[in-house]
Amino acid sequence: MTWMTDRRRFLAAGGALFASLATRPNFAWAVEGTTLKLRMDSDFQVLDPYGMIGGLDDVMQRCCTVTLCRLSDMRAGNTISPYAAAKYEWIDATTLAFTLHDGLKWTGDFGPVTAEDVKYSFERIHGSDSAWAYQFEKLKEVEVKDEKSGVLHLTEAFKPFEVVALPYYAGHIVCKKATEAAGGKFTTEFPAQCGPYLVDKWEQNAKVTLKRNPDWPLEKPQFDAVEIYIVADDQPALLAYEANSFDFTKVAAASASGLKSTPPANSTLIEATSTRYVWLTINMNAPALKDLKVRQAIQYAYDGDAVVAGVYNGLTKRSTGVVQPGSDYARPANLIAARDVEKAKALLTEAGADGLKLNLYCQSDANSTATAQIIQASLAEAGITVEIQPTEEAAYWALGDKTQGDGYKSIELVLMNFAGGIDPTENLVWFRPDQIGVYNWSFFDSPEYEDLYQKSLSEQDTAKRAEMFHKMEDLMEQSGGFVFICFEPYLAIHRANLTPTILADGHPDPTRFTSA
Amino acid sequence: MSSVADAAVPPVARAASAGALWRLMSDPMGAGGAVIVVSFVLLALFAPWVAPYDPLKLDVLNKLQGPSLAHLAGTDQLGRDTLSRLIWGSRTALGISLTATGVAGAIGLVLGLIAGYGPRWLDGALVLVFDSLSSLPMILFALAVITVLGPGTTTLILVIVLVSIPGYARLIRAQTLTLKTADFVQAERSMGASVPRILGRHLLPNVVGPLVIVLSMDVPVVIMLEAGLSYLNLGVRPPTPSWGNILYDGYNSLRQQPTLVIAAGVPLVLSTIGFTFLGEGLRDALDPRLQVRPR
Repeated sequence: MTWMTDRRRFLAAGGALFASLATRPNFAWAVEGTTLKLRMDSDFQVLDPYGMIGGLDDVMQRCCTVTLCRLSDMRAGNTISPYAAAKYEWIDATTLAFTLHDGLKWTGDFGPVTAEDVKYSFERIHGSDSAWAYQFEKLKEVEVKDEKSGVLHLTEAFKPFEVVALPYYAGHIVCKKATEAAGGKFTTEFPAQCGPYLVDKWEQNAKVTLKRNPDWPLEKPQFDAVEIYIVADDQPALLAYEANSFDFTKVAAASASGLKSTPPANSTLIEATSTRYVWLTINMNAPALKDLKVRQAIQYAYDGDAVVAGVYNGLTKRSTGVVQPGSDYARPANLIAARDVEKAKALLTEAGADGLKLNLYCQSDANSTATAQIIQASLAEAGITVEIQPTEEAAYWALGDKTQGDGYKSIELVLMNFAGGIDPTENLVWFRPDQIGVYNWSFFDSPEYEDLYQKSLSEQDTAKRAEMFHKMEDLMEQSGGFVFICFEPYLAIHRANLTPTILADGHPDPTRFTSA
Repeated sequence: MSSVADAAVPPVARAASAGALWRLMSDPMGAGGAVIVVSFVLLALFAPWVAPYDPLKLDVLNKLQGPSLAHLAGTDQLGRDTLSRLIWGSRTALGISLTATGVAGAIGLVLGLIAGYGPRWLDGALVLVFDSLSSLPMILFALAVITVLGPGTTTLILVIVLVSIPGYARLIRAQTLTLKTADFVQAERSMGASVPRILGRHLLPNVVGPLVIVLSMDVPVVIMLEAGLSYLNLGVRPPTPSWGNILYDGYNSLRQQPTLVIAAGVPLVLSTIGFTFLGEGLRDALDPRLQVRPR
């Protein structure tokens, strides 16, 4: 038998093959087999809860470690339920007892997940210099009852403790033996994992692949593998989504109208209010900004309407602080609610700061640079020349970090945004005096603020807490160290057959994604 | 003495300067390239008068508009007039590329002449420096310098100058090594001419032609490099218009308004074609071997 072909036959066969593949059901779907493909906007940096920053750090911890309890999807009201803890109950206002599930075990022959691991995980961060130490501020100690059981003792009643401390960030449990063997801290490699997924492969700044943990004893996640792709900007990510590269991606607010009018096939758009708050840091320690009048001039010159319309397509409103709008605790209005360029000019003249030139640092993504350009243009109307310094992520987070040198003392303006928590104290914590040189880049140093913060932790009355939070935000604004910009609208798109779980910080929880 | 020395100047140099322009303009490709390049230069020079709007003026309520009579190339994501930004962008592109290639060419010319005509030890040392600089990958080197110094126009020009000098210097050195043993140079030397005179009067006119051609061909490469780095937010800082950052804005708004990315691509393509054709035309016009055509 001889095999004969020619160009025409070859093309015909190729065409037939392509047509058959194209008409195959689900050909265009990225949810192939049991691999879930997600997109995040930046790579992870520190996997140790002690030094983690956020974003993918937290998502990886959700996948590869456990917490005592966990939150529901943010659209379902952020309710809390036990997770690694089989039993979990408040004995009284300062005592929380837990018993871990049987079968949870660490990789690398480090044995079962124990109450001793819980004690080690929480107490190493409590009172430490970790940015997440605030989560355990009210923790007195973790008492180990037996291998699986323990009791969390608080210094005083603090009802939000379980949502502030336990479901994320430093609430992730690490393996005591493995962490100590690794020197007490780790960065880009877990010394031991125990979650529903295990890290399979990391391609730096490109992709993380997680594989199902065969020893996972609780409810099995639906997907065998999770691939997390790193794409910094939302628009290219959307194009990649449309080309079936991912099953889920956050999208820019600017894309909302287009996605509503011409949605990609078999896709669902999620629109929600996010907890991510955006503000302009004005460093009152910088020589050019030491005069309150200069800082107030910036607050008056800022054009909040232009930012909301230009960057967020009117999908959000100007924020009145860092407490989420719509909550019982949100401040009704900014003290400087309306723009007044003439007043800004007069303040600058009074301060003898005519011809002021400032540097504005921002991250180099499209949203940040667009916001920075609007701020630049609005301050220019008052006679302030702003030089925009787009900065890549690692260098950006080093700007206000006191461990990176003395640069944090003199940065001038920084466009910032943080993923917020559920209790207002989780958002307000970053502006306490002890956060100067950590995340309080404004050098806002108010003993009154600190006092109110401490009182708000133990106050049980909602109205009184709200009053405290309003006063704290007034103090922030009066210091001239802040311009509150907005809470970002949350927009994401996913395959229609997928049911995603999105947590309060706006990041997905891949362990709870399901597909029809 | 001077008349003898002048007589020693080879016909190549004189021919290059005398009829080059006429030959360039009689070549359709070269003429087309020259027209495009001159148009861009004029746009860049007269941008404040030619641009219909202030390229920095925001109008967020009219963002991402398509082409219209009011905005011929539409508006960007902040409502700025795209055509005005493109016109001002030509000033950025040409300003950086011409400055950077000009400075790099001048330094390369001097270093190449010194290496080619100087003592062997100096030649060896300079070649070592050229080779070391050439061995650095251009983009990675650019990223490293920008990381250290921070993005901005000055950094961009510095990077381009540093990465371009070795190529130009090696070209000039090779030309000089060939020419320094030529009869007219030997004759000049035997008559006691000084080294500066030999370099400036006899070698320079003969080596500058190929350099001009290479510079012309390199201008679009530099324009692309500037656009690429600005696209990555590592070039000129916003809101300065650059074809690269306009392209980046367009890419980020591709789904809402594809006009922006197309509009930003047109000048990049045209300038590349223009400078390349001009370079080709100059090569033909200045190369003596191509000037002798069979009748």
